[in-house]
Amino acid sequence: MTLLIGFLIGCAFGAILFLGGASSYRRIMGTLLLKDMWIIKLMMTAIGVGTLGIYLLDLGGLANMSIKPAYVWGILAGGAIFGIGWAVSGYCPGTCVVGASEGKKDAIFTVLGALMGAFVFSLAFPYIESTLIAPANFGKVTLESLLGINGIWIAIPFSAALLFLAFFVLKDRYE
Amino acid sequence: MQDKGIISWKAAGISLGLLLTIATALVKPLGVSTQFVVTDAAVIHQVAPEYAEENTYLSKYGEKTGWGIGYGWMLVLGMFVGGGVTARLLRNKQPEADKGSMPAMWTGRFGASHLKRYLAAFGGGFLLLFGARLAGGCTSGHMISGISQLALSSFIFGAATFGAAILMAKFLYRNKGEQA
Repeated sequence: MTLLIGFLIGCAFGAILFLGGASSYRRIMGTLLLKDMWIIKLMMTAIGVGTLGIYLLDLGGLANMSIKPAYVWGILAGGAIFGIGWAVSGYCPGTCVVGASEGKKDAIFTVLGALMGAFVFSLAFPYIESTLIAPANFGKVTLESLLGINGIWIAIPFSAALLFLAFFVLKDRYE
Repeated sequence: MQDKGIISWKAAGISLGLLLTIATALVKPLGVSTQFVVTDAAVIHQVAPEYAEENTYLSKYGEKTGWGIGYGWMLVLGMFVGGGVTARLLRNKQPEADKGSMPAMWTGRFGASHLKRYLAAFGGGFLLLFGARLAGGCTSGHMISGISQLALSSFIFGAATFGAAILMAKFLYRNKGEQA
Protein backbone atom coordinates (compact mmCIF):
# COMPACT_ATOMS: atom_id res chain seq x y z
CA MET A 1 0.00 0.00 0.00
CA THR A 2 2.81 2.39 0.92
CA LEU A 3 4.43 1.52 -2.40
CA LEU A 4 1.28 2.48 -4.28
CA ILE A 5 1.00 5.76 -2.34
CA GLY A 6 4.64 6.50 -3.17
CA PHE A 7 4.00 5.82 -6.84
CA LEU A 8 0.93 8.07 -6.96
CA ILE A 9 2.63 10.91 -5.08
CA GLY A 10 5.56 10.56 -7.47
CA CYS A 11 3.24 10.77 -10.48
CA ALA A 12 1.79 14.02 -9.16
CA PHE A 13 5.27 15.35 -8.31
CA GLY A 14 6.59 14.58 -11.81
CA ALA A 15 3.53 16.11 -13.46
CA ILE A 16 3.80 19.30 -11.38
CA LEU A 17 7.51 19.69 -12.21
CA PHE A 18 6.83 19.22 -15.91
CA LEU A 19 3.76 21.46 -16.02
CA GLY A 20 5.47 24.17 -13.97
CA GLY A 21 8.48 24.28 -16.32
CA ALA A 22 10.94 23.10 -13.64
CA SER A 23 12.64 20.72 -16.09
CA SER A 24 13.46 23.64 -18.39
CA TYR A 25 17.09 24.69 -18.78
CA ARG A 26 16.29 28.36 -19.45
CA ARG A 27 14.07 28.57 -16.37
CA ILE A 28 16.70 27.04 -14.08
CA MET A 29 19.56 29.11 -15.51
CA GLY A 30 17.37 32.21 -15.55
CA THR A 31 16.89 31.82 -11.80
CA LEU A 32 20.59 31.12 -11.14
CA LEU A 33 21.55 34.19 -13.20
CA LEU A 34 18.98 36.14 -11.12
CA LYS A 35 17.01 37.20 -14.18
CA ASP A 36 14.00 34.92 -14.44
CA MET A 37 12.49 34.42 -10.97
CA TRP A 38 10.03 31.73 -12.06
CA ILE A 39 11.75 28.78 -10.36
CA ILE A 40 12.63 30.56 -7.13
CA LYS A 41 9.08 31.89 -6.85
CA LEU A 42 7.75 28.37 -7.46
CA MET A 43 10.04 26.98 -4.75
CA MET A 44 9.23 29.73 -2.24
CA THR A 45 5.50 29.17 -2.79
CA ALA A 46 5.90 25.41 -2.34
CA ILE A 47 7.92 25.90 0.86
CA GLY A 48 5.49 28.55 2.13
CA VAL A 49 2.49 26.24 1.68
CA GLY A 50 4.47 23.17 2.80
CA THR A 51 5.76 24.72 6.04
CA LEU A 52 2.30 25.81 7.06
CA GLY A 53 0.81 22.46 6.02
CA ILE A 54 3.40 20.38 7.88
CA TYR A 55 3.24 22.38 11.10
CA LEU A 56 -0.56 22.38 11.03
CA LEU A 57 -0.38 18.58 10.72
CA ASP A 58 2.12 18.59 13.56
CA LEU A 59 -0.37 20.38 15.82
CA GLY A 60 -2.56 17.30 15.50
CA GLY A 61 0.45 14.97 15.83
CA LEU A 62 -0.05 13.84 12.22
CA ALA A 63 3.23 14.91 10.61
CA ASN A 64 5.67 12.12 9.77
CA MET A 65 8.69 14.38 9.80
CA SER A 66 12.10 13.40 8.53
CA ILE A 67 14.76 15.84 9.74
CA LYS A 68 18.25 15.57 8.32
CA PRO A 69 21.17 15.94 10.75
CA ALA A 70 23.08 19.23 10.67
CA TYR A 71 26.74 18.23 10.11
CA VAL A 72 27.99 21.64 9.08
CA TRP A 73 31.11 20.82 7.03
CA GLY A 74 29.61 18.02 4.97
CA ILE A 75 26.49 20.02 4.19
CA LEU A 76 28.44 23.13 3.20
CA ALA A 77 30.81 21.13 0.98
CA GLY A 78 28.06 18.90 -0.41
CA GLY A 79 25.79 21.88 -1.04
CA ALA A 80 28.56 23.73 -2.90
CA ILE A 81 29.38 20.68 -5.07
CA PHE A 82 25.67 20.16 -5.70
CA GLY A 83 25.26 23.84 -6.66
CA ILE A 84 28.06 23.63 -9.22
CA GLY A 85 26.51 20.49 -10.71
CA TRP A 86 23.14 22.26 -10.83
CA ALA A 87 24.54 25.20 -12.79
CA VAL A 88 26.58 22.98 -15.14
CA SER A 89 23.78 20.52 -16.00
CA GLY A 90 20.77 22.78 -15.57
CA TYR A 91 19.00 19.98 -13.73
CA CYS A 92 18.64 18.72 -10.18
CA PRO A 93 18.13 15.05 -9.23
CA GLY A 94 14.33 15.32 -9.50
CA THR A 95 14.07 17.43 -12.63
CA CYS A 96 16.56 15.28 -14.56
CA VAL A 97 14.23 12.32 -14.00
CA VAL A 98 11.33 14.38 -15.35
CA GLY A 99 13.46 15.74 -18.23
CA ALA A 100 14.46 12.17 -19.09
CA SER A 101 10.78 11.15 -19.07
CA GLU A 102 10.13 13.90 -21.64
CA GLY A 103 12.82 12.29 -23.82
CA LYS A 104 15.41 15.04 -23.31
CA LYS A 105 18.77 13.40 -24.04
CA ASP A 106 20.77 15.83 -21.90
CA ALA A 107 18.59 14.87 -18.94
CA ILE A 108 19.26 11.18 -19.60
CA PHE A 109 23.00 11.93 -19.46
CA THR A 110 22.45 13.78 -16.18
CA VAL A 111 20.68 10.71 -14.74
CA LEU A 112 23.62 8.51 -15.82
CA GLY A 113 26.14 10.97 -14.37
CA ALA A 114 24.11 11.06 -11.16
CA LEU A 115 24.14 7.24 -10.84
CA MET A 116 27.91 7.36 -11.33
CA GLY A 117 28.30 10.21 -8.80
CA ALA A 118 26.31 8.26 -6.21
CA PHE A 119 28.50 5.19 -6.78
CA VAL A 120 31.77 7.15 -6.47
CA PHE A 121 30.40 8.73 -3.30
CA SER A 122 29.88 5.25 -1.86
CA LEU A 123 33.59 4.53 -2.53
CA ALA A 124 34.65 7.77 -0.87
CA PHE A 125 32.22 7.45 2.05
CA PRO A 126 34.60 5.81 4.59
CA TYR A 127 37.07 8.70 4.22
CA ILE A 128 34.42 11.40 4.09
CA GLU A 129 32.52 10.13 7.11
CA SER A 130 35.38 10.70 9.54
CA THR A 131 36.40 14.12 8.16
CA LEU A 132 33.23 15.88 7.00
CA ILE A 133 30.27 14.10 8.56
CA ALA A 134 31.22 13.07 12.11
CA PRO A 135 32.75 16.41 13.32
CA ALA A 136 30.53 19.46 13.96
CA ASN A 137 27.38 17.34 13.76
CA PHE A 138 24.60 19.05 15.67
CA GLY A 139 22.10 16.28 14.97
CA LYS A 140 18.50 16.56 13.86
CA VAL A 141 18.00 20.17 14.88
CA THR A 142 15.07 22.36 13.78
CA LEU A 143 14.30 26.03 14.39
CA GLU A 144 11.53 24.73 16.66
CA SER A 145 13.99 22.87 18.89
CA LEU A 146 16.56 25.70 18.72
CA LEU A 147 14.13 28.45 19.68
CA GLY A 148 12.18 26.27 22.10
CA ILE A 149 8.76 27.44 20.96
CA ASN A 150 6.03 25.54 19.13
CA GLY A 151 6.92 25.30 15.44
CA ILE A 152 3.60 26.73 14.29
CA TRP A 153 4.61 30.15 15.71
CA ILE A 154 7.67 30.07 13.46
CA ALA A 155 5.84 28.50 10.52
CA ILE A 156 3.14 31.20 10.29
CA PRO A 157 5.43 34.26 9.93
CA PHE A 158 7.99 32.28 7.87
CA SER A 159 5.35 31.09 5.40
CA ALA A 160 3.79 34.54 5.22
CA ALA A 161 7.19 36.11 4.47
CA LEU A 162 8.00 33.58 1.72
CA LEU A 163 4.60 33.93 0.04
CA PHE A 164 4.80 37.74 0.27
CA LEU A 165 8.27 37.71 -1.33
CA ALA A 166 7.16 35.36 -4.11
CA PHE A 167 3.86 37.06 -4.92
CA PHE A 168 4.72 40.73 -4.44
CA VAL A 169 8.43 41.42 -4.19
CA LEU A 170 10.48 39.28 -6.58
CA LYS A 171 10.32 40.51 -10.18
CA ASP A 172 12.01 39.23 -13.32
CA ARG A 173 14.84 41.43 -14.47
CA TYR A 174 15.40 41.69 -18.19
CA GLU A 175 17.42 44.43 -19.71
CA MET B 1 9.13 38.90 -22.63
CA GLN B 2 9.04 35.41 -21.17
CA ASP B 3 6.11 33.30 -22.26
CA LYS B 4 4.08 31.46 -19.67
CA GLY B 5 4.53 27.83 -18.73
CA ILE B 6 1.76 25.26 -19.11
CA ILE B 7 0.67 26.20 -15.60
CA SER B 8 1.86 29.26 -13.65
CA TRP B 9 4.55 29.14 -10.96
CA LYS B 10 1.80 29.98 -8.48
CA ALA B 11 -0.28 26.94 -9.43
CA ALA B 12 2.79 24.69 -9.49
CA GLY B 13 4.12 26.04 -6.17
CA ILE B 14 0.81 25.73 -4.34
CA SER B 15 0.20 22.19 -5.66
CA LEU B 16 3.72 21.15 -4.72
CA GLY B 17 3.29 22.53 -1.18
CA LEU B 18 -0.02 20.67 -0.82
CA LEU B 19 1.51 17.47 -2.23
CA LEU B 20 4.35 17.73 0.30
CA THR B 21 1.81 18.13 3.10
CA ILE B 22 -0.15 15.08 1.91
CA ALA B 23 3.04 13.01 1.60
CA THR B 24 4.11 14.03 5.13
CA ALA B 25 0.69 13.06 6.51
CA LEU B 26 0.56 9.70 4.72
CA VAL B 27 4.16 8.45 4.76
CA LYS B 28 7.03 10.94 4.85
CA PRO B 29 8.23 14.07 3.01
CA LEU B 30 9.45 14.09 -0.59
CA GLY B 31 13.01 13.11 -1.50
CA VAL B 32 14.78 12.00 -4.64
CA SER B 33 18.56 11.77 -4.36
CA THR B 34 18.70 8.74 -2.01
CA GLN B 35 17.02 6.69 -4.74
CA PHE B 36 20.04 6.99 -7.01
CA VAL B 37 21.99 5.14 -4.32
CA VAL B 38 19.17 2.62 -3.92
CA THR B 39 19.30 2.01 -7.68
CA ASP B 40 23.08 1.57 -7.62
CA ALA B 41 22.81 -0.70 -4.58
CA ALA B 42 20.03 -2.78 -6.14
CA VAL B 43 22.05 -3.34 -9.30
CA ILE B 44 25.31 -4.06 -7.48
CA HIS B 45 23.55 -6.44 -5.06
CA GLN B 46 22.52 -8.43 -8.13
CA VAL B 47 25.78 -8.23 -10.06
CA ALA B 48 28.37 -8.38 -7.28
CA PRO B 49 26.61 -9.18 -3.99
CA GLU B 50 29.80 -9.61 -1.96
CA TYR B 51 31.12 -6.27 -3.03
CA ALA B 52 27.80 -4.60 -2.19
CA GLU B 53 28.02 -5.92 1.38
CA GLU B 54 31.64 -4.81 1.78
CA ASN B 55 30.87 -1.26 0.69
CA THR B 56 29.74 0.38 3.94
CA TYR B 57 27.57 2.96 2.18
CA LEU B 58 25.87 0.68 -0.35
CA SER B 59 25.28 -2.04 2.22
CA LYS B 60 22.91 0.32 4.03
CA TYR B 61 20.65 0.35 0.96
CA GLY B 62 19.01 -2.48 -0.90
CA GLU B 63 18.71 -6.04 0.36
CA LYS B 64 20.70 -9.21 0.01
CA THR B 65 17.61 -10.80 -1.43
CA GLY B 66 15.14 -8.89 -3.52
CA TRP B 67 15.70 -5.41 -4.83
CA GLY B 68 15.25 -3.40 -1.64
CA ILE B 69 12.85 -1.04 -3.34
CA GLY B 70 10.45 0.93 -1.17
CA TYR B 71 8.27 4.03 -0.98
CA GLY B 72 11.01 6.42 -2.09
CA TRP B 73 11.98 4.44 -5.15
CA MET B 74 8.35 4.07 -6.20
CA LEU B 75 8.03 7.82 -5.81
CA VAL B 76 10.86 8.43 -8.28
CA LEU B 77 9.43 5.83 -10.66
CA GLY B 78 6.14 7.72 -10.36
CA MET B 79 7.91 10.97 -11.25
CA PHE B 80 9.16 9.36 -14.45
CA VAL B 81 5.70 8.02 -15.31
CA GLY B 82 3.80 11.15 -14.23
CA GLY B 83 6.22 13.48 -16.02
CA GLY B 84 6.33 11.31 -19.13
CA VAL B 85 2.56 10.85 -19.46
CA THR B 86 1.84 14.55 -18.87
CA ALA B 87 4.57 15.50 -21.33
CA ARG B 88 3.03 13.32 -24.02
CA LEU B 89 -0.48 14.59 -23.40
CA LEU B 90 0.42 18.28 -23.27
CA ARG B 91 3.47 18.52 -25.51
CA ASN B 92 1.76 21.02 -27.81
CA LYS B 93 1.15 23.37 -24.87
CA GLN B 94 4.79 23.33 -23.74
CA PRO B 95 6.62 26.54 -24.72
CA GLU B 96 9.06 25.87 -27.61
CA ALA B 97 11.92 27.27 -25.53
CA ASP B 98 11.39 24.54 -22.89
CA LYS B 99 11.70 21.65 -25.34
CA GLY B 100 14.64 19.53 -26.44
CA SER B 101 18.16 18.67 -25.31
CA MET B 102 19.91 21.68 -26.84
CA PRO B 103 18.47 24.78 -25.15
CA ALA B 104 18.87 28.00 -27.19
CA MET B 105 20.55 29.61 -24.21
CA TRP B 106 23.18 26.87 -24.11
CA THR B 107 23.89 26.86 -27.86
CA GLY B 108 24.12 30.67 -27.84
CA ARG B 109 26.95 30.44 -25.31
CA PHE B 110 28.63 27.08 -25.95
CA GLY B 111 27.79 26.27 -29.58
CA ALA B 112 25.80 23.50 -31.24
CA SER B 113 28.00 20.53 -30.23
CA HIS B 114 25.78 17.80 -28.81
CA LEU B 115 28.82 16.11 -27.31
CA LYS B 116 29.68 19.21 -25.30
CA ARG B 117 26.13 19.52 -23.95
CA TYR B 118 25.93 15.83 -23.05
CA LEU B 119 29.34 15.90 -21.36
CA ALA B 120 28.27 18.90 -19.28
CA ALA B 121 24.99 17.17 -18.44
CA PHE B 122 26.83 13.99 -17.39
CA GLY B 123 29.50 15.84 -15.39
CA GLY B 124 26.89 18.07 -13.78
CA GLY B 125 24.85 14.99 -12.86
CA PHE B 126 27.92 13.40 -11.30
CA LEU B 127 28.52 16.48 -9.12
CA LEU B 128 24.81 16.70 -8.24
CA LEU B 129 24.67 13.25 -6.70
CA PHE B 130 28.13 13.32 -5.14
CA GLY B 131 27.18 16.61 -3.49
CA ALA B 132 23.67 15.52 -2.57
CA ARG B 133 24.86 12.33 -0.87
CA LEU B 134 27.56 14.24 1.01
CA ALA B 135 24.99 16.79 2.19
CA GLY B 136 22.27 14.18 2.81
CA GLY B 137 19.68 15.45 0.33
CA CYS B 138 18.87 17.48 -2.76
CA THR B 139 16.44 20.14 -3.91
CA SER B 140 13.42 18.06 -2.92
CA GLY B 141 14.61 16.37 0.27
CA HIS B 142 16.71 19.18 1.69
CA MET B 143 15.48 22.40 0.18
CA ILE B 144 11.73 21.90 -0.25
CA SER B 145 10.95 19.21 2.34
CA GLY B 146 13.73 20.13 4.77
CA ILE B 147 13.15 23.87 4.92
CA SER B 148 9.40 23.23 5.17
CA GLN B 149 10.18 21.24 8.34
CA LEU B 150 12.34 24.18 9.52
CA ALA B 151 15.41 21.90 9.67
CA LEU B 152 18.66 23.75 10.40
CA SER B 153 20.60 21.42 8.07
CA SER B 154 18.36 22.33 5.16
CA PHE B 155 18.79 26.08 5.64
CA ILE B 156 22.57 25.52 5.54
CA PHE B 157 22.17 23.37 2.42
CA GLY B 158 19.98 25.96 0.70
CA ALA B 159 22.48 28.76 1.34
CA ALA B 160 25.51 26.72 0.20
CA THR B 161 23.72 25.40 -2.89
CA PHE B 162 22.29 28.67 -4.13
CA GLY B 163 25.55 30.48 -3.35
CA ALA B 164 27.66 28.04 -5.38
CA ALA B 165 25.08 27.64 -8.16
CA ILE B 166 24.69 31.40 -8.69
CA LEU B 167 28.47 31.94 -8.76
CA MET B 168 28.93 29.05 -11.19
CA ALA B 169 26.08 30.23 -13.45
CA LYS B 170 27.48 33.78 -13.49
CA PHE B 171 30.91 32.33 -14.32
CA LEU B 172 29.58 30.15 -17.16
CA TYR B 173 27.63 33.04 -18.69
CA ARG B 174 30.18 35.73 -17.75
CA ASN B 175 30.57 37.44 -21.12
CA LYS B 176 27.01 37.09 -22.23
CA GLY B 177 24.02 39.25 -21.59
CA GLU B 178 20.50 38.15 -22.30
CA GLN B 179 19.95 35.04 -24.40
CA ALA B 180 16.96 34.27 -26.56
